[in-house]
Amino acid sequence: MKHTQLGEFEELVLLIIGALRDNAYSISIKLELKEHTGRNPSIGALHSALNRLEKKGFVESYEGGATSERGGRRKRFYTITAYGRKALDQSFELRSMFYHRLPKLGWSSE
Amino acid sequence: MSDPRVKYRPPHWPDKLLGWFCHEEHVEILRGDLYELYQERRQNGAKFWADLRFCLEVLDLFRPFALKKKRHQETNDIAMLKNYIKITRRTFTRQKVYSLLNVSGLSIGLACFILIFLYVRDELSYDRFHPGAERIYRVIEHFESDGVGEHSASLPFPAGPTLVHDFPRQVEHVVRLFNFQSPTLALANKDADKAFNESRVFFADSTFFDVFDFKLEAGDKATALDEPNTILITRSMARKYFNGEDPIGKFLEFQGTQNLLVTGVLEDAPLNAHFQFDFIVSFSTLKHWYNGDYPRSWYWNPCWTYVVLEENTTKEALEAQLPAFVQKYFHEFIRDEVTLELQPLVDIHLHSTLDYEIQANSDVKNIYIFGAVALFVLVIAAINFINLSTARANKRAKEVGVRKSLGSRKSQLITQFVFESVLLTFLAVLIAVGLVISVLPEFNQLTGRSLDLDVLLDPRFLTGFVILTLMVGLMSGFYPAFVLSSFKTTLVLKNAHLKTSGLSFRRVLVILQFTISIVLIIGTIVAIEQLKYLQNKNLGFDQENILMVPAIRSTMGDHYETFKTKALQSTSIKSITAVEEVVGAKHQVGNYQFEGMERSKPIPRFFVLHDFTKTMDVELIAGRDYDRSVVTDDSLALVVNETLVKSMGWGSAEEAVNKRFYFRNRLEGKIIGVVRDYNFVSKHNPIGPLVLPLNTRPRAFDLFIKYLAVKVDGNNLQAAVNDLKNAWHTVLPNRPFDYFFLDDRLNESYLGEQKMSKVTIIFSGLAILVACLGLFGLATFSVEQRTKEIGVRKVLGITTPQVLILLSKEFMPLVFAAFILAVPLSYILLREWLSTFAYRVGIEAIPFMVAGLITFLVCMITVAYNAWKASKINPIDTLKHE
Repeated sequence: MKHTQLGEFEELVLLIIGALRDNAYSISIKLELKEHTGRNPSIGALHSALNRLEKKGFVESYEGGATSERGGRRKRFYTITAYGRKALDQSFELRSMFYHRLPKLGWSSE
Repeated sequence: MSDPRVKYRPPHWPDKLLGWFCHEEHVEILRGDLYELYQERRQNGAKFWADLRFCLEVLDLFRPFALKKKRHQETNDIAMLKNYIKITRRTFTRQKVYSLLNVSGLSIGLACFILIFLYVRDELSYDRFHPGAERIYRVIEHFESDGVGEHSASLPFPAGPTLVHDFPRQVEHVVRLFNFQSPTLALANKDADKAFNESRVFFADSTFFDVFDFKLEAGDKATALDEPNTILITRSMARKYFNGEDPIGKFLEFQGTQNLLVTGVLEDAPLNAHFQFDFIVSFSTLKHWYNGDYPRSWYWNPCWTYVVLEENTTKEALEAQLPAFVQKYFHEFIRDEVTLELQPLVDIHLHSTLDYEIQANSDVKNIYIFGAVALFVLVIAAINFINLSTARANKRAKEVGVRKSLGSRKSQLITQFVFESVLLTFLAVLIAVGLVISVLPEFNQLTGRSLDLDVLLDPRFLTGFVILTLMVGLMSGFYPAFVLSSFKTTLVLKNAHLKTSGLSFRRVLVILQFTISIVLIIGTIVAIEQLKYLQNKNLGFDQENILMVPAIRSTMGDHYETFKTKALQSTSIKSITAVEEVVGAKHQVGNYQFEGMERSKPIPRFFVLHDFTKTMDVELIAGRDYDRSVVTDDSLALVVNETLVKSMGWGSAEEAVNKRFYFRNRLEGKIIGVVRDYNFVSKHNPIGPLVLPLNTRPRAFDLFIKYLAVKVDGNNLQAAVNDLKNAWHTVLPNRPFDYFFLDDRLNESYLGEQKMSKVTIIFSGLAILVACLGLFGLATFSVEQRTKEIGVRKVLGITTPQVLILLSKEFMPLVFAAFILAVPLSYILLREWLSTFAYRVGIEAIPFMVAGLITFLVCMITVAYNAWKASKINPIDTLKHE
């Protein structure tokens, strides 16, 4: 993945952003992470990753959706870009390619 | 910043912190996230944990992406620094007058500060050079009844050794110092034919060096004072008596009779020791003078006694046992009136004002006054600096505008101006140090010190100085820096009229400055008046043309009458008496019991010989003086003063005559005369009761009669001194003749005040000078600001006096306000200061008026000079440009 430079945590976040579609913002991403991986990153760590993703061009953001519990402050929603999608695809392909090359022996011994 | 729109408010401070460090771009989103999480946590859990996690998460946001960013990389800091230096230099040379005023004012202020700092530091260093100085105490004796008596710095002979003996666990060492209570003692090197009366001779126990850490250049500290008839002399004395030959093993003759072997050479006494010595004689030498033993009396208290306490004990622990000690040893008839106390060695110089001090001490009050003056001068100088720099701000507004439009940030501008003022301060410091170096000899002479500049190289002092420089630089640079950097770029460049921001602040500073100056002037005037009052007020006896001749421990007692007859043959010598101490400076204390008293009480006592009232011109208001024809006057008669009569409750002086007095409850004699009160000690103290007994015993000159007092003809002083000397040498051929004038010696009692008034005069003068420099700068500036206005006014026909009025309107109200502030302030301070004197001048209106007038005039002259300059400008020059 040399050319995309997608870190493990970043990849996970990128996937979640894609999966959450229109409702991908920090808190919802945090909840997804907590629910499915047990990780509970701090707001700082999460935003830091989101920022990196955006800088690298994997995601785009827009602001909106102010709610009362936020004191009327907007959220920053993220959407995956085509480049981001491509990076995910590449990463998936790479993984599945190697995955398929795993010797089947392991399986037969089960 | 807590948001009223949310249900639960997160903790205030972390929230605020976030806003402070977080980049504007992110702050809304991040804060929103944190709030959202916080609401949820509060709904599901305790406030404490939610708060804690909120805090932690805020702290966690100290991440590069979230922090406020500088707009560009700082690669030009060094280059800018060079630029700042260049600009500083250019501004300095372009505005020479301001810059010089600015820097010189500050240097004067700093120089004053350094000088006084050196002085105060020296004062505070007294006696601290002994290792373990904080464990050394002087034992002092209070001996009084109903407020009358003595507070003695010295103890009876047996007290010291008994203390070590009785409290071996608490007292490690003890040393006694003794000098026969004699103002001078005679020493001679017969071989070299050198004989002098020395005033700094002390007898000291062999434990001297266990207590004090004075340096012995030659000889052995452990044994030097062990043997009787041995003496240590200082290096200077070795030169004086032995012409630089090695004095060890040689002899000095003491009082013309006793040979003392020199066993060591001392380094000269450090000037910051509370007692100054030239000779230390072994204590056992004294046995020769007291029939082979030390005096055993617990009444006579001539020994200054110092103890070193063991490390594990305290002053209080030992003091708690002293009342029992007093009861055990002191004579029955004084026991209840005596209290012993431990006085820390390091407190002696600044805090001790006891009777029989070895030498006069300083007063911590003066340190406070000096310190305050130093601080005042520095504050005034710093205010100048601030004022002139802010005033100059407008001049440099264009520069600021250009800098801003080229991308200078506010912080850079502040850095620039702070840097500039620190640089100027540093320059001022250098000049100040130069000034200090050049005036230090004079300052030393003035204060009677030998302050050293070595301390300036001490790393601690250097660091202190760097800090001081930075502080003054920052203080005086910060305000102008903020004013300058807050100018609006466009306005500045459009040359719009700038609001002279900081004017009101500057006004406050000018008022403060002049308040301080006026307080200093008033204080100085009153201090001088007080000093004059102390020195001039009629003392109740004649102090003019009185020669005092030390005669203690001479054989004068055997020859007194012969001497007197011989001396009085001279036409220039009018009258002779002999006295116990210097008249008007000192006295001793004796126990007396008068009619109507249950038991004896300590009362100030002053032994005299015949003709005391005549010689000293003390008025006798009842009864008679001692009469040579009444032989029993010596023991059966007493002359007392008015206050004693009053304190006994006797109706009048006449009534007091023939009142009886007792000794150990046995009838002794009667009061024969009462003298008018005279100041028998300095006017720091009120007049107390006094007994003036006659002591004609030949041995009186051993202890109770110390001086001859001779009234001479003021017009023939030289002849009088010569005649007296001849008379002296006919009866005492071997004893050097010494004398001093009484009025000179009495003036020495006020040396502290004299020194202080000199120093305050000088420093308040400088303070006013510095304040005027500042005012001058401001006035000059104000004229420059208003050149156009004055130009227009000139075209319309304004006269020079009118210009003066125009300018005065700006400054005079400030000076007036300062005056209004200074009056009550100085009144309070002076009342406080004067209350420490028994005799004091009243605080009158005149000093206040004089101070106001001086300040007003000086300001007027300053402003007038500028007005005159302004009115000379040709309006064409100022009006043709626009």
